[in-house]
Parts: sequence; C-alpha cells; structure tokens
Amino acid sequence: MTRIVSPRLAAYAGLAATGLITGLATGRVELVALAAPFALAAVAGAALARDPAIEATLVLDRERALESEDVEAALELVSPGGSDRVEVLLQLPAELRSRARNPRAVRLAPGEPRTLTVPLRCERWGAFAVGPVLVRARDPLGFHSWETKLAGRSPLRVYPSVETLHALLPPFETQVFIGNQVSRTKGDGIEFADVREWEPGDRVRRVNWRASARRGGLWVNDQHPERNTDVVLFLDTFADVRSAGRGTLDLTVRAATSLAHRYLQRKDRVGLVSFGGYLSWLLPASGTHQLYRIVDSLLQMDIVLSFATKGVDVLPPRTLPPKALVLALTPLLDSRSAAALLDLRARGFDLVVIEVSPVPFIEPGKGELAELSYRLWRLSRESLRARYEQAGVPVIEWLDGVPLNVPLEEVAAFRRHARPARA
Amino acid sequence: MLAYAAARVPSLAGLVVAIGLLGALLLAFVLVRRADDLLPWALAVLAVAYTVSLFVHGAAVDQAAPLVAAGLLLCGELAAWSLDERHGMAAERAVVLRRALALGTLVLAGLGASAAVVAFTAASAGNGLAWTAVGAAAAVLVVGTAARLARRTA
Repeated sequence: MTRIVSPRLAAYAGLAATGLITGLATGRVELVALAAPFALAAVAGAALARDPAIEATLVLDRERALESEDVEAALELVSPGGSDRVEVLLQLPAELRSRARNPRAVRLAPGEPRTLTVPLRCERWGAFAVGPVLVRARDPLGFHSWETKLAGRSPLRVYPSVETLHALLPPFETQVFIGNQVSRTKGDGIEFADVREWEPGDRVRRVNWRASARRGGLWVNDQHPERNTDVVLFLDTFADVRSAGRGTLDLTVRAATSLAHRYLQRKDRVGLVSFGGYLSWLLPASGTHQLYRIVDSLLQMDIVLSFATKGVDVLPPRTLPPKALVLALTPLLDSRSAAALLDLRARGFDLVVIEVSPVPFIEPGKGELAELSYRLWRLSRESLRARYEQAGVPVIEWLDGVPLNVPLEEVAAFRRHARPARA
Repeated sequence: MLAYAAARVPSLAGLVVAIGLLGALLLAFVLVRRADDLLPWALAVLAVAYTVSLFVHGAAVDQAAPLVAAGLLLCGELAAWSLDERHGMAAERAVVLRRALALGTLVLAGLGASAAVVAFTAASAGNGLAWTAVGAAAAVLVVGTAARLARRTA
C-alpha cells in the first residue's frame, strides 16, 4: 500500500519547533507550553502509523444479468491490524449504478473480515468489468493514510432486454431446410396449396378422393412445405445519437437481440453484420449457440469513428446468402450505410429498413437559422426515405418508446400491398 | 482565545484583535476554499496574536497558556477533520466516534503536557549551564524530528 503522510504532521512539528526555539530564545515558558500539544500530536501521529495491510475480495452474485436488473457485489475486507477508517470506492463503469453509498468509510476490527454489499443496477447493456476497489485507510487522527487498488476486476455481462414480438416479417423466399415458415412453393407439407391432376410418382395418400369423384379422374392435393429462412440483421454502427442516457445504438441493439431471439426460436438461420467504423459479421446459423454468439457480438457493439469509404463489397459473400431477408436497423445518418443498403437492394436482396429514428434525441436549436437547418435536415431524411421506397424498399420509422411490433406490423402491411421491384 | 488575549492587554487590544481576526479569516478561507496547505499558517497567526499579548503583558507566567495551546490544537484538528470530510463520504457511526475519541484524547493529552510544562516552571529545579544545555538539546531534538517528518512527507 502506498503510504501518504499528511502535510499537517510536518506543519505541527514545525509549529512545535518554532514555539520551542522561540520560547528558549526569549525565555517565555508559555511559548513552550503552546508548542507542547503540537509536539505531542506530531509524535503521536508518527507513533500511531501502522500499515493496515488490507486485503480485499470482490465477488459478484452472478456474471450475467439483463438490463435494469440488480446484481449484488460482495466486497470482503480484512486487515490484520485493523483500521479506524477505511474508505472504500468500488470503481464502476458508467452503465452500472450503485444503489448503496459508494464510496463509504467503514471501520475494520483487527483480523475480523468485514463484508460490504453493494447492489448494482444494470442500466445499460454491455460487457463490463466491475472493480478494482480503491481503498484508503487512515490512522485515527488522519495523519497517515495508505492507498491501494485491490480485488482486481470481476466481469459482468449485461444483456439487452428482449421485447416480446407477436409477429415476424416473413421473407419473400424460403431456404431448403425444414423450418416453421410456410413456403410459397409447392411440395410436401401440411398447408393445403392446390389440387392438380395425378402424375406418375404421386403417392396414393395425396389423392383427393372427393375432387377425383367430382371431376372423373385422379386428382391430388398440393401442399406448401414448411421451410426455414435466412435472416441477416444489418446494423448501421456508423453513428449514434444519444440524449439523457438513451440513444439510437441502444435501440438498435435491443431490437437486434429481440429479432435474433425470435427468428432463432423459429428455427431460422440468423446472421449479423455490424456495418460501421469497425466492421464485424457473423455467418448465418441457427440454434441456441448462434443466439449466444449474436448477443455476445452485440455486447461489443460500439461506435468507432471512421472516415474510410466502405461498401458491401468488403463483406464476405457468405454473410449475405441468396434469398435472405436483410433487416437493416439504421438511424439513416451516414451516407455510407445509406448507399450500402441501396447497393444491397440493387443486388436483389429482400431488404427491409427499420429506421431507428434519431429525431426524439435531437433538440432543434433556438433561432430562425437553427430551426431552418433542422427543417432542412428533416426534409433530407424524407428525401432519402423516398429514394428507398422508389427502389421498393420499405422504410419504417421507429421512434423511441414505441414497441418494435409496430414497425414490424407496418412493414408487413407494406409487403402485403406491394410487390418487390426488380432493380 | 482571541478575547482572552485582547483582554490581557487593553492598551494593545486593537493590535491583538487585528492579528487574531487575520488568523480567523485565514482559517475561514482554509475551510471555505478547502486550502488545507494554509491551515498551519492560520494557526501560526492565531498563536502570534497570543504571543503579542504575552510580551506586552509582562514577565509573569500566564497560567492559562495550556488552555490556549489546547484550544489551538483543537481548532486545528477540527479544521483538519472538516477538510477530510470535504467529499461528503458516507461514514458509519463507529468511524466518526473513533475519530472524535482520538481527537478528544489528543487534546486532553496536549492539555496535560502543556500544563506539565507550566507546572515545571514553578518547581525550583535549579538553573545553570547544564539546564540550558538540556533545553537546547530538547529543542534540537524536536527540530530534528520536524525535519525528518517533513522529509518523509515530501
């Protein structure tokens, strides 16, 4: 532990020395009497100085939590010699808030372990390190203090909360593997599609006897097969607009988690592309492992400032499989991501843009010029949306506080009444 | 303490009060601006106010000197405690009680030491070169201790 001596100790010793010498020089005993308590304090301060040799152990009651949940940190302190005042500060990232007093001063009895509990509120998703613990012990009169960092860091992963989604967007085309999505094609399945004349090779159990009796020949039922789909979550991480602890990136990550969770439940394959200053991707796959991979990847998501020009060419081809539904979550703030999405549409991908609106997080400035620029900015966003719609891409604005089901339902309605344009 | 010092020398009460007020202002500045480096200077100025009254008053030993000394130490320690609490850290009751106890003990011990010094002057222990040498050695010892502590602080 680093020992720090209070300047007061030297000052007291100096006052005592001055008093004694002046008293000796002038022959006034009162000055010596005046110096005596300060001399005593200086000597007592030096004599009481003992390194408390504090040891600390930090334990979290769990390593994983959901947003807005509480995690309890238990901090055990022990000092062989004890200390009358130990100031303890548990260093926390900004996303975790202590619900107990932090820092606080406690007393440690000699050799007796003391456990302090610090309830932590997880206010935002992310991968964090709790700790280290900053400890400062003082002697009874505060002449000496010992400071150190203890207990290392404990990892804590806070997962974004998952929103319950009532319905998901079906892609236009399905893949070849079994899943829960009723395919538009005909084949072996459960859902009735049509009746047609019998052909060699058709199984007897598929014969529709009622239709055959009525039409005078053998007619068989056609079904829609149940297939899986490929969904690629395309996250625009070029920019984040934040206000009062909330921001577009938070909404994006929460939406991506909810969508990934729900699509994977449906046995679909889900991939992830983080398109921003730092490019990352996960190849589409299915299963619980993929959900963990996606969520872990989302926890690392951050805005990295970059001026590099990027297009979808930099992505490995396997990240965007053919017939995949590309669900883009973007605040539509960066021209590179806007261009990349149009490029994807031009390549024939089934693209849906959920615009994570930055508007609620931006206050228009005061004054005529500021208001004018704000209106122009809103108009430029409208113009960008119109460009997407011309290309046959549904763009739905998602505002903070609105359930994700609402934009998904709007996209579904759009797709019911619109045909995909071939760019 | 200031009133006591001023009352002892009515002829120069204005000067004593002026010096004392300067010290009090300096102490107030230390507390308000949390300038703990200036705390010893505030105590020193207060001590000077008392010293002026001592020299003006005459050669008689002031029997109340231990109380003044203990008062000065208490003033310094309370100011230091106040400065230590500047961050508004939540301290449990036992911590506050321990410091109050330590402070009280220190001030009482200081009062006792100071009173012992004044009491020794009443004793006829003799005088001469040997006593002067002992006094000088004691002073050198204290100065040496102060220098050593100052070096450790730096």
